[in-house]
Amino acid sequence: MAPTLLNRLTDSSALSLGILGVGNIGLVHLKSAAVMSGVDVVAAADAVPENRDRAECAGVSRTYDDYTTLLASEELDAAVVALPPFLHADAVEQAADAGVDVFVEKPLARSTEEADEMLATAREAGIAVGVDHTLRYQPDMAGVKTAYDEGRVGHVPYASITRLNDGPLGRPPAESAPPSWPLDRDAAGGGSLLELGVHCFDVLEWLFGELEVRDASMGRTLEVDVEDAATVLMDAPETGTTVTLHCGSYQWEQLPEVNTRLRLEGVTGTISNQEHLPENFYAGAAKSALSNVASRFTRDEPDVFGPTFYLQAHYDALADFCNAIRNDEEPPVDGADGRRTLALAEQAYELAARKRDAGADGLETPEVTL
Amino acid sequence: MSAASVRAVAVDAATRRGGWIPDIDARLTHLESPVRDVLAPSLEALADADRITLVPDAHYPFHPSSGMVTDPAVIGSVVAHLERETDAEIAVAGASDDRISFDRTADYLGYTSLLERFDATLVDLADEPRLDEVCSVDGTPVALSVPERLVESTVVVVPSLRPTAAGPVAGAMRTLAASIDCDAKPARVPVATRPIVNPAVAVIDATTAYGGEPVAADVLLAGEPSAVDAVASSLLGRSLEADDALKTVREDEEPVTVEGDVDFDRLRATIPDGDLPPPDSPHPAVSTAYRVYAAVAGDAVPPQLEGSR
Repeated sequence: MAPTLLNRLTDSSALSLGILGVGNIGLVHLKSAAVMSGVDVVAAADAVPENRDRAECAGVSRTYDDYTTLLASEELDAAVVALPPFLHADAVEQAADAGVDVFVEKPLARSTEEADEMLATAREAGIAVGVDHTLRYQPDMAGVKTAYDEGRVGHVPYASITRLNDGPLGRPPAESAPPSWPLDRDAAGGGSLLELGVHCFDVLEWLFGELEVRDASMGRTLEVDVEDAATVLMDAPETGTTVTLHCGSYQWEQLPEVNTRLRLEGVTGTISNQEHLPENFYAGAAKSALSNVASRFTRDEPDVFGPTFYLQAHYDALADFCNAIRNDEEPPVDGADGRRTLALAEQAYELAARKRDAGADGLETPEVTL
Repeated sequence: MSAASVRAVAVDAATRRGGWIPDIDARLTHLESPVRDVLAPSLEALADADRITLVPDAHYPFHPSSGMVTDPAVIGSVVAHLERETDAEIAVAGASDDRISFDRTADYLGYTSLLERFDATLVDLADEPRLDEVCSVDGTPVALSVPERLVESTVVVVPSLRPTAAGPVAGAMRTLAASIDCDAKPARVPVATRPIVNPAVAVIDATTAYGGEPVAADVLLAGEPSAVDAVASSLLGRSLEADDALKTVREDEEPVTVEGDVDFDRLRATIPDGDLPPPDSPHPAVSTAYRVYAAVAGDAVPPQLEGSR
């Protein structure tokens, strides 16, 4: 990060933030930032008029139909890049031209090659790059790490992580038009592994250190351009742990239920993320809500999105990024972390493709399983 | 076939592991005999047709193993059978809507690649020429804009066995009505459509049914559309009295009998009678309560809980 960072902060003590893309996750970032101490959301950009309307309803005073105009028109300290992956590199380049630090939604880029160019541009411009890898911010994952680091089950020879949802096509009843870019390899860079798997890679390396990919398979349950199921076998040499990862966007999801499972199989027992979640989501949400209401009277800060832990993780990740920028520090989850997850995904894709070309069996699943 | 008779044919599941065969070629082979059997009484009516239009439930690219759409393998088997038994020009039709184009749905569901092995073509009824018609429902005129192809070709409608979001069975009549533009209330559209689009046969794909959860029901049912819809409604535990469209169409008809090698009572017990999952948008009361809580606590309202203001 450039030593002149603090000088670039606007006169106000608040961090001036722009949101580039206010679709689903962009709006979460907007709403998070809007209630964040020391952060002023000055503008948002989105090509979709309905998204701009929602941003205005959320309290943004100025909206733009493209992020280029926003970056050229506003005095920003930082920008959240919540655009589809094919626009990340361009948005970061333009933010770099404007000297604006960026918090980029995952995946950082569509490939390590694109990430390298993006990070080189950022380095030359002296801007910081943070990446929104949120699993490590979830209370259940933090609980697993604490128990693991405290040696609660001894040596862990095997761990598994599963993350499933219903992707862009959703579940019945079909209510709205599904976006096409997540199912377009050119636009998204890949399928479930880049959408969900990169989060898993990030939390696994946070737990076990550097991973080495040993085997992988990709599957498609519909005839789409990208994989909607991925399975990866890895080793973690530092901890002597074999790890399997399975992610997919083929399973109907009914919030607040979220299918994210992490299990560490240790010598004396198992650490599971399920042990660190409220037994009943609604009871947990109600408790959190009551705590937040009480905090109003004790003048404590509320836990933003407290009743929904997975959204709270997005708030915490953005808050950490903003604090790092304010303190002239590297973002806690930076561009190198984001690039690392892409490198692991690329290794998995390569191994799966090599096996498919060789007609190998093993982990390989039928490519089309309609 | 009598208007009040529905033919049921079991699909052999003895060699299948689990509830679903992932390989479409294997499913096509598996379905060849049941499709031949279920279409046998209708073949005479289909044999003289110049053009046959198959209308599956392909309203959205849900995985066929969910029971929420017609299995493309059933359509493939029907196409194969009709190409063997008739000289008709065959088309498989769906319709783009404001959520998703039919081309995209057909690609994702595998229709595009499936039909490459046949002479049959894929058509989007939303792009086809239309006929403007006026029908009377309960003495009230109802204006319809109907794809010409559905009027001028021999139609075979192949719905899935599932409920609609509103509750009644999706069925043959509503699957056809989905491609027809009409300003009338939803319950009137299938009724108004009936005198204009008169399928030669309706084949319900109940190889996998959905009634709150999927089940491998392993059966095909064929007959006159309102008759198969009445059977489908019964299988999903719906009352005909609660289905305005079906009640209107069948009120003067004889009760339906089911013929074939299927234990109907067992089938009815096997198929759950639940609904579609609840919509993603929260109940207005939940949104209001959350907004009140957020205002009091100084919290943010998640976009998913905003609801419509």
